Amino acid sequence: MKIKDVPQDGKILTNSEVRDVCYAVDENGDYKQVISVGWDPKNEAIDYAWETIAEECEEIKKEVIAGNASPLAYHIHRLVMTPDILASYSGFSKREIKRWCKAKHFAKMSPGELQRIADALRIEVNKLVSID
Amino acid sequence: MQLEFIHKPSGHCENGVVSNLLRFYGKEVSEAMVFGLGSGLFFAHMPFIKLHGMAVTSFRPYPGEIFARVVKLLNVKMKKYKFRDRDKAMERLDEVLLTGTPVGMLVGVYHLPYFPKEYRFHFNAHNICVIGKEGDIYTVSDPVVVDKCTLSSDELKVVRFASGTYPPRGRMYHITDASGIHQPNGEAIRRAILRNCSRMIHIPLPMFGVDGIRYLAGRMRKWEKKMGSKRAALNLAQVIRMNEEIGTGGAGFRFIYAAFLQEAAAVMNQPSLRDFSAQMTAAGDMWRDFSYNAARMFKKRDGDLMTYNILAEKLERIADKEESIFRGLEKLMKNAR
Repeated sequence: MKIKDVPQDGKILTNSEVRDVCYAVDENGDYKQVISVGWDPKNEAIDYAWETIAEECEEIKKEVIAGNASPLAYHIHRLVMTPDILASYSGFSKREIKRWCKAKHFAKMSPGELQRIADALRIEVNKLVSID
Repeated sequence: MQLEFIHKPSGHCENGVVSNLLRFYGKEVSEAMVFGLGSGLFFAHMPFIKLHGMAVTSFRPYPGEIFARVVKLLNVKMKKYKFRDRDKAMERLDEVLLTGTPVGMLVGVYHLPYFPKEYRFHFNAHNICVIGKEGDIYTVSDPVVVDKCTLSSDELKVVRFASGTYPPRGRMYHITDASGIHQPNGEAIRRAILRNCSRMIHIPLPMFGVDGIRYLAGRMRKWEKKMGSKRAALNLAQVIRMNEEIGTGGAGFRFIYAAFLQEAAAVMNQPSLRDFSAQMTAAGDMWRDFSYNAARMFKKRDGDLMTYNILAEKLERIADKEESIFRGLEKLMKNAR
């Protein structure tokens, strides 16, 4: 890749301090570091992954409204968590968390339990119990 | 308290931290040199390890491996820590920092506040360096960030004890004795290149090295039939992300390695290494072409004729190219003594 070909497709990184250091050759064929703000194919790949997550969240929302899944299931997916990782952050067991992903068990959670889960997800309790 | 630490951003966090740490002790070793000495170029496609439910494709060795190799080759004396107790991990960090020592550490990126939210995945092998503390705020040198940045002690505690695959468990490290460090010499470079050749062409398993690229190509041809176009496109998106992720310097580290070969040519006085560098650049350009065309698959417009078969063929050509580069390099290095 030549220095003039280093892509500067700003999108995801634009508003952050994070940058991509690329290696490219100058007119003498010597390698130099060039700071890049992104490249479209990569931005699109990341967008595509998030779009898919958003679509799956909509499916889970329908399940929540139908009374099968709980809002917790929705938030776990939205925040790219897994029951496993949430278990480790919250101190509950993976089995408990999987149970609470079902509406009927979620309804029986105590305020203390809700608070611990909300803290581990870093959201408010009133957000945890809704799907807005 | 702030250390006199020169922060330089770099392509890859692991090389970047090592290179920045060495500079603090007056040893200028470039990021590309660190990467090359660490035999950092690799390829693996591992269906038996899953990330977000998909097979993992990796363009570099296991986290920490580059680091370990470089420390050994340059005779850097390091002390490493791992903790069970969060508060102890923070206390120990403060103690070491107060002696005027910059401390490198592993963190998870999911909770890193200065990362864009699109990057909030559970990746737990990110390296940063703590280089100062004022009150409750730590000054941090993160190689993927342009300038020095800050983290509160609570934020730092959370990322040091992130959960998920390969949890960092508060791991940290610092240089204890810099007096014995030597500059990269021809013999160290020769050994590092030979090791890299062997990892790319001699691992007798289909998932690794150039064979791994062919293996991915073979599996890719069947993706659409096996899992439908939606899932197939997601798998492809994951390959592109690994290939072009922040920290690769572009094209799955191929360009960084080419930069290393160029430096190596000068150190070893071996002009033909420059030709190999140019060939490696060409391989990198082929990877870029692959990513560019692969991205067409998930924003597919009518009339776009891109298929998984065409992409797989591109991969096979890359595998051939890299195989010939590493066979040539191996021959050259074996005769270089």
